[in-house]
Amino acid sequence: MVDFFALVIPAMVPFLLAALGTVLAGRVGVFNVAQEGIMVLGASVGFLVSLKMGGNFMGLIAAALIGAVIGLVLGYTTAILRLDQFVIGLALYFATLGLGSLLYRAVIGTTLEPPLIPTLKDAPIPGLSKIPIIGEILFSHDLVVYFAFIVAFAIYWFMYRTNAGLKFRAVGENPKSADSVGINVTATKMWATVVGTALVAMAGAYLPMAYTGIFTEGIVAGRGWIVIALAFLAGWRPHFAVAGAAFFASMEVFALKAQVAGIGIPHQFVLMLPFVATLVVMLFAFKWARQPKYLGVNYDRESRLSG
Amino acid sequence: MTLNGHPRLKMTGIQKRFGPVHALKSVDLEVAPGEVHGLLGGNGAGKTTLMNVLYGLYDADGGTIDIDGSTVTIKSPRDALAVGVGMVHQTFLQVDNYSVLENVVLGANPGGSALSLNLDEARSQVLDLSKRFGLTVEPDAIVEELPVGVRQRVEILKALYRGSKILILDEPTTNLTPQEVDDLFQSIQAMVAEGMSVILITHKIQETMAVCDRMTIMRLGENVAVLNKVDTNPEELAAIMVGETANEDASAVVLGEDNFVSLAQDGIAVSAKNLVIRNDHGVDLFQGFNLDIRAGEVLGIAGVAGNGQVELAEAMAGVRPLQSGSIQVEGREMTSLPTVEWLRGGVAYVPEDRYRDAILPTATITENLLLGSQRSASVKKNGLIDWRAAQKRAEDAVSAFSVQASGISALVGALSGGNIQRVILARAFAHKPRLLILHNPTRGLDIRSTQFVYEQVSEVAKTGCAVLLISEDLDEVIAQSDRVLALYSGALTGEWSHSEAEPYEIGRSMTGLVKES
Amino acid sequence: MSNTGQLTQAESATSSQSRILKSIVSKAIPYLVAVVAAFAVGAIIIVLLGHDPVRAMQSVLTTSFKSQFGFVETMHKWVPIVLCALAFTVPLSTGKFNIGAEGQLLIGATAGVAVGIMGSDLPMVILLPAVLVAGVLGGIVWAGIAAFLLVRFQVNEILSTVLLNFVSFQVIDYVASHVWPDVGAGHPATISVGEGALLPRLGPSPAMHSGVLLVVIAAIAIAVSMRSTSAGFEMRATGANQRASLVHGIKTSRLAGAGLVIGGGIAGLAGAIEVAGVHGKMLEGMQSNFLILGIIVGLLARGNNFAVPFVAFGIAVLEVGASAMQRTAHVPIELVLIIEALILLFVLFSDVPKGRFKLGKK
Repeated sequence: MVDFFALVIPAMVPFLLAALGTVLAGRVGVFNVAQEGIMVLGASVGFLVSLKMGGNFMGLIAAALIGAVIGLVLGYTTAILRLDQFVIGLALYFATLGLGSLLYRAVIGTTLEPPLIPTLKDAPIPGLSKIPIIGEILFSHDLVVYFAFIVAFAIYWFMYRTNAGLKFRAVGENPKSADSVGINVTATKMWATVVGTALVAMAGAYLPMAYTGIFTEGIVAGRGWIVIALAFLAGWRPHFAVAGAAFFASMEVFALKAQVAGIGIPHQFVLMLPFVATLVVMLFAFKWARQPKYLGVNYDRESRLSG
Repeated sequence: MTLNGHPRLKMTGIQKRFGPVHALKSVDLEVAPGEVHGLLGGNGAGKTTLMNVLYGLYDADGGTIDIDGSTVTIKSPRDALAVGVGMVHQTFLQVDNYSVLENVVLGANPGGSALSLNLDEARSQVLDLSKRFGLTVEPDAIVEELPVGVRQRVEILKALYRGSKILILDEPTTNLTPQEVDDLFQSIQAMVAEGMSVILITHKIQETMAVCDRMTIMRLGENVAVLNKVDTNPEELAAIMVGETANEDASAVVLGEDNFVSLAQDGIAVSAKNLVIRNDHGVDLFQGFNLDIRAGEVLGIAGVAGNGQVELAEAMAGVRPLQSGSIQVEGREMTSLPTVEWLRGGVAYVPEDRYRDAILPTATITENLLLGSQRSASVKKNGLIDWRAAQKRAEDAVSAFSVQASGISALVGALSGGNIQRVILARAFAHKPRLLILHNPTRGLDIRSTQFVYEQVSEVAKTGCAVLLISEDLDEVIAQSDRVLALYSGALTGEWSHSEAEPYEIGRSMTGLVKES
Repeated sequence: MSNTGQLTQAESATSSQSRILKSIVSKAIPYLVAVVAAFAVGAIIIVLLGHDPVRAMQSVLTTSFKSQFGFVETMHKWVPIVLCALAFTVPLSTGKFNIGAEGQLLIGATAGVAVGIMGSDLPMVILLPAVLVAGVLGGIVWAGIAAFLLVRFQVNEILSTVLLNFVSFQVIDYVASHVWPDVGAGHPATISVGEGALLPRLGPSPAMHSGVLLVVIAAIAIAVSMRSTSAGFEMRATGANQRASLVHGIKTSRLAGAGLVIGGGIAGLAGAIEVAGVHGKMLEGMQSNFLILGIIVGLLARGNNFAVPFVAFGIAVLEVGASAMQRTAHVPIELVLIIEALILLFVLFSDVPKGRFKLGKK
């Protein structure tokens, strides 16, 4: 059991980072749907930089940067040019998917043996990791795990415990109201989208670094889409995103364990599990989960039609 | 009444274009300290546009703004607040799921730091302001749960908390009862007594005469007159507002003059019995509601917004299912029929929210006029929609209802509010209605379009159609109805014939006091 | 979804030909600019990768027209792209996004291949229609899940359709490795369907399969129905304004579900045609990237069903050229996906009102 939970915690990281990025942009009304592609791009860039420049740290930074660039495009086209968020998101999904694979092909070419990067090393927290059971489950992981949880806490604290957060949330609830009291709606949307998308790309970069050591086109395997469901499920709140990430990570670890243990069910049905579970959970989510009122809606100050 | 010889506010030569529309053509406005200044004009005159420029929501294409003698640049609401300009919009700019206090302080960084959140000091400041100006609020209530009158106070407090010395109120009385209007005017008096200036945007002459010291009258994007209250009278104001070319009817609309002619016949045309209607929150707002309308009668429903008007209109139109009860139109039981059967049975509905409930903004006029009759045999040929016939009908409707558009292929979302309403009416009348339900049919329309709507209602009443006029404009209800009913929280609290209808008495019933009969 | 939801304007009988021509030209300009700009960016990437852009572009654009074989291959790509695009645009007309065409295609293929294998002794007149109908039904069932979740539980259709794609991958893997596995294939694939399940070829080899004709007919029928039937009008009205449609007696929620189901049926047909016309069996990966291409085509056509087949042809040309480019100029095939995504992005930019292309507009 301890073993199971000790696996769930690192498995949460891609879900959590990507969900936090999604929530951050969503709370100011920018609904990103390109996660799947951005994570592939993040994984590819993170992998390549780790491989060629040495070091996963550099890889993560590079992934965050490329994510920020994509965030800039998403923010510029929606918050400033006011193009349809969903359509732009789809276009970015295609572009980032292609770019992620193209970069890998361009740098590595076609090889018989895929190149490997060393996976992240565990960094047990001195003292805390020695606590029985809890120490092994919570405090004996790689640094990115701790980083993800710190980001979750920081975003929560920012949103609900500061004046800046009060203003931030108002942008996604009623941008006109926010604008009318002097909040810079466009700037808020821009930075939230840039930071949020950077987090999504880092979530992708974690995949080759923590699990596989190699990059494949299918490495993200639907996690990007699950993350969107997770954001809805969490009601676009960072603290509930932690719980949601724990749920989906448990599904993933369970599927993995069940596959290895061979429980008599064809493995295809086990692999379906996270997706079927997401669908089932959404049955309930859309009933009670709240979402920002202006999620997916662009704000045009001079629009004469909008209330 | 000037400070150091300077007016509080001086706007000079303000210009604003929206694409091809010249919304403001070099407008001037001057307001003194301690003055209530009326900005008077019909809809489409440019009043709100001018004030949105002052508040930094619109970027003016020309002109200057001086406050207390120095020229200011206002590019955003932040700039406006910084120079002491606050504005209360017609639709409240509030974050629905925030508390009163959170809404009031939003953006003002109470406590000084952006990276903390301490509202204790702000709370006492807000309570102090609310006492000083008679603006009672509960600081921790969530605003979406508050009635309109209170939400308006929140909006005023927002401006006062930011230290505004010029407060703009955009049509502030629209959704208030006459009693609430009196309270608001008292608060306004308290503000100007402390040296503030208040700009009151309105199209109601009585209001300006009641509370304003001076008024600027606008028409079609120009200011046409500046008058002191003591130097003028309602008739003069009406004449200036409407302009020389307008007919007497339009003037009558502006002044609310009574030239009503009843077209009601004997015999009940529409009968609603024991209606139980559920609102969107799952509450049975109407519990055993009854209503009869005679043929050709205009039955007016007066009330403050949010007392069940939308639910009643939708139930009477067959859009919202009844929990129980029955509705008969000319003897035909409609109750459990699908909406499309109501339409076929002659029930036409002109909803309050045109953009949300009535039009397909990205579709053509032809397609919008087809909406609701797309399955009727008259527009079909070989099982497919006969677009040529539909276009012919659209051409006829556009000319009969004088819709101003580039053609029948124009997208309806691009038309002006008045022309959109004409398209909606054309569609409603094409159904040859036996029951016409109108909800706030003239909101946001210019005087001419308003007059047009009233004329069309008379036309259809002449054919014996029963008309249910639900409006939050009490003057409109009184002027246009054979009978007026007051609606409060899903129940009727009074009934008046056309000749008995008196605003204050109806206003009292609109707040829930049942009329003594 | 303001731009894509726009109702196609009913042609005005009175408008003169020159006006129509003028409007076509003015509408085509943004597309031309977008295509040229996207290729320019693509060429820069090719140069950066150290390859010959002229040679690469030549392969991309001309392969379809250099040989009978190339043209047939193009039309065979065109078929699933058109159908996947319509599977996207039909639900889009009600305002719903079907991102599940590949799942629907795969389940359609599964149903088709099941009928084709189990009835392999049947004559063509029975078996071939049965395979195609099974494909349609398979797609309907798969999209029906999302439609049910949407109508009954208000589950966002974007997510449900996408997630069902991932479920379908496992379904076909199971069918190809447990139910009718072709053990010798070295790749998850089923055994072949019966002779009677194969679409006849049009002329001598290399010839295209008759599914091409079927799709031409289907595309016209769908486009006309969406424009001129009452149900089609109601679906478009629902997409343009759901509330207003409801107020005017349209059963919007049911129509939104119906749109998804119809889209699923169209994608399912694509799956069956892939089985009956191209592969003769079902194999893992047969969905290729038709989902993405279908969406790109649907968005480029701005939801206009009449434009879909033409846009799809252009994309099919690029796709066939992409493989040739990789062979001849050694440029990775993914470049073409980037070019397609850029065309889409650049076309979307043309929606921006003039004068908004500057930062800090306030």
